Amino acid sequence: MLTVGIFAGNNWDVPQGEPYAIIDAVIKDFEAENPGISVKYVSGIKKEDYSEWLAEKFISGEEPDIFFILAEDFNLYASMGGLMNLNGFIATDKNFSAEVYYPAAFNFGKYENISYALPCESTLTFMFVNKTLLAQENIALPKNDWTWDDFLNICRRVTRDIDGDGVPDQFGCYDYSWQDAAISNGMKFFRDDGKASYFADSRMEASIKFIMELRDVSGGFAISPKDFDVGRVAFRPFTFAEYRTYKPYPWRIKKYTSFEWDCIKMPAGKSGGNISVMDTLLIGMSARTRHKDLAWALLKKLCYDVKTQQLILEKSQALPVRRDVIISAKAAEIFSWETRENAAITPAEISDAMDAAIMPFKFKNYKNAMLYADNELTKIIAGVVPFNNSLNKLQKEINARLQH
Amino acid sequence: MQILTAKGMHRLLYFCNGVIIFTLMGFMCVTQERINNSMSARAFLELAGAIPQSSGELFFQTVISFVIFALSGHYYLKTENRRLKYVFFATEVVMCMILMRVLNLAYDGVILLVAADLMYKYEGHRQEYALLIALFCLYFMSNYNFALFSTKIISFEAYASYYTAGAKSVILALKNTFYSLNIVCFVFYLVLVIKNSHEEHERTRLLNEKLEEANQRLRAYAIEVAQMAETRERNRLAREIHDTLGHALTGIAAGLDACLMTLEIAPEVTKNQLNKIRDAAKKGITDVRRSVKKLRPDDLERLPFQEALKEMTRDYSASSGMEITFEVLKWAENLRSDQEDVIYRVIQESITNAKRHGQATKVKIRISGDEQRLLIKISDNGCGCASVKAGFGLRHMRERLKLLHGTINYWNDGGFTVEAMIPLNRSEK
Repeated sequence: MLTVGIFAGNNWDVPQGEPYAIIDAVIKDFEAENPGISVKYVSGIKKEDYSEWLAEKFISGEEPDIFFILAEDFNLYASMGGLMNLNGFIATDKNFSAEVYYPAAFNFGKYENISYALPCESTLTFMFVNKTLLAQENIALPKNDWTWDDFLNICRRVTRDIDGDGVPDQFGCYDYSWQDAAISNGMKFFRDDGKASYFADSRMEASIKFIMELRDVSGGFAISPKDFDVGRVAFRPFTFAEYRTYKPYPWRIKKYTSFEWDCIKMPAGKSGGNISVMDTLLIGMSARTRHKDLAWALLKKLCYDVKTQQLILEKSQALPVRRDVIISAKAAEIFSWETRENAAITPAEISDAMDAAIMPFKFKNYKNAMLYADNELTKIIAGVVPFNNSLNKLQKEINARLQH
Repeated sequence: MQILTAKGMHRLLYFCNGVIIFTLMGFMCVTQERINNSMSARAFLELAGAIPQSSGELFFQTVISFVIFALSGHYYLKTENRRLKYVFFATEVVMCMILMRVLNLAYDGVILLVAADLMYKYEGHRQEYALLIALFCLYFMSNYNFALFSTKIISFEAYASYYTAGAKSVILALKNTFYSLNIVCFVFYLVLVIKNSHEEHERTRLLNEKLEEANQRLRAYAIEVAQMAETRERNRLAREIHDTLGHALTGIAAGLDACLMTLEIAPEVTKNQLNKIRDAAKKGITDVRRSVKKLRPDDLERLPFQEALKEMTRDYSASSGMEITFEVLKWAENLRSDQEDVIYRVIQESITNAKRHGQATKVKIRISGDEQRLLIKISDNGCGCASVKAGFGLRHMRERLKLLHGTINYWNDGGFTVEAMIPLNRSEK
């Protein structure tokens, strides 16, 4: 008997109708292929409880044979030796090739250059575009290779006072962060081992300056999510999972009904490209499993099998991690939600974006370091702290925190 | 009568360690269960940096490794077979490591238990080095645990940190108390072992003294016995002389007195008397000869002379391991007993010297001669000596030979050779 550790819903914090549809289908297939083997999972574990649940299972020595791994847990288990080293399986299994995966997805399952988990599904950040607003302003939908300059220009053109109360009430963008800007400018925040940061990089400086220009466009007025929801903001970064959740029926009814919208790649910075972060859900195998080969087969079934990957494409909000599934005809069919409508982004472009995407950091102090950086950078962007030399100071401060 | 013997203390040490180990194991199991029940598993793993054994595994591994540890310790002390003993000791050391590993190196007091076992069975054989090496390795391992099992060890503090600050300090204090208790027991055990060994030493010294005393008494007794034997022999000689020579001489003296009286009056009677006196003197001589004969070596009495010589050399060869060849080219019949005596003594002395001074392995005895004399040549293959210093033996031989008008020569020629010549004179002097 094999056990699977799984949480209800998805990794992307968006609503999902049938939480166990994919795993149930995979188990049914797997049990048919391997007679006499049954696969079990505990249902009803919420994502926010999953980390604790898994830790408890590890402490009581009853961890599942294969299990979902949250990004923040991956390094912990990999460093503790809780996860099976998959390099041996990968090297010897003739029916397996890591080439089919997007590098940012496959490499996300590595710790110190050893694969401890396989990617199951991914999502990456795109830019939501309010097509209705752009049409009203006579602005064409930006192409997928658009740049910061295009982005800034459009923001400048749409930001204005419509009701004549002297206060702007139509805006360029909401929620475009310094992280989004820096990543699309080719910036890498940390060294891979998480012991040093590169905040003093010139690309970081350019990104902060760009964000400050954007802020100046809106005249410093705080833009709320409600402004976006009611259709008064042209752009907002969103993950693909959100795009897939709210684009089709029925969730579409609940949100964003007052305007037409679509998504395109993130605008490219001067030293970077149309790059964004791709988050990936990993599945790993327990180092203490008694059924290594069966567990590997089931892991492959979940993460490598074309049929399962197509199922992810159809049933979940996430993107499959296999390149051939993304650029298949089936995907093209699914991504053009309504037959009348031409999607702004094609599967080939999504695939390009996934190839170019970078993976998030997952070292232990990452969240704290980023929180601190965000805090300091918000002050710099808001002009509370003078910009001169502030990035050097920030880098030193963060490096000091990372070393401890 | 002592209440606590080293053996008892040794058992107590085992008991003490068992209690500590099982308490620690219980503490770890209970803490793990509590962590799981209080939703702090993720935080614990983060702090621990390693995945703990499940409570069940922890329990069984601790029990099994402690039992094997104790058994190998027990049989290590019991067995007399040297090789088996090493096997048991090695098993004990390995189980000690496993036990420490199972308990996440929270307790290294078992090392002292290994040391105690080794001390208990201390027998020399460079065991102090074995102890030193074993202790060094075990302590090195427990102190550099993170280097050895980098990802596998959960510090005891991580377990203690689950509890509130107050409880944590109590737990750490208790753990230190356990540790100190073990050390106190161990030190006390050492004191007992040293005390035992000291007492043993004292007892041996007393016994040795007694033995020396007895030896001295024995030596004195041996001297006394020798003196008594000498006295007895002297008495016997005195009696013999008194009985034979004394008797004859007294008779002769009395007879001569009578002769002096009757010489002039009755010469015929005197002549008769003198004849009688001569007979008595002859009888006396015979008696003296008989007495002297009694002092001769046993073999000479028992066997024909040549056989006696052969028997003597054979015996000496058998007892000393020297190869002695006995060659007779010419033999003089009708040797007088005093001549036989001298020949016997010369040969005896020469082969004794060959062994004692020359460390010879081969001795060749050759007896030759002609009508006038007998030649005895004794040569050995020993180391000889650079300059021959005539000792008592050689001087004695020369004196004995002189009495028979014989000569003696000796020289070095790769070994040592003695040549004695005895003139043969048929007529008795």
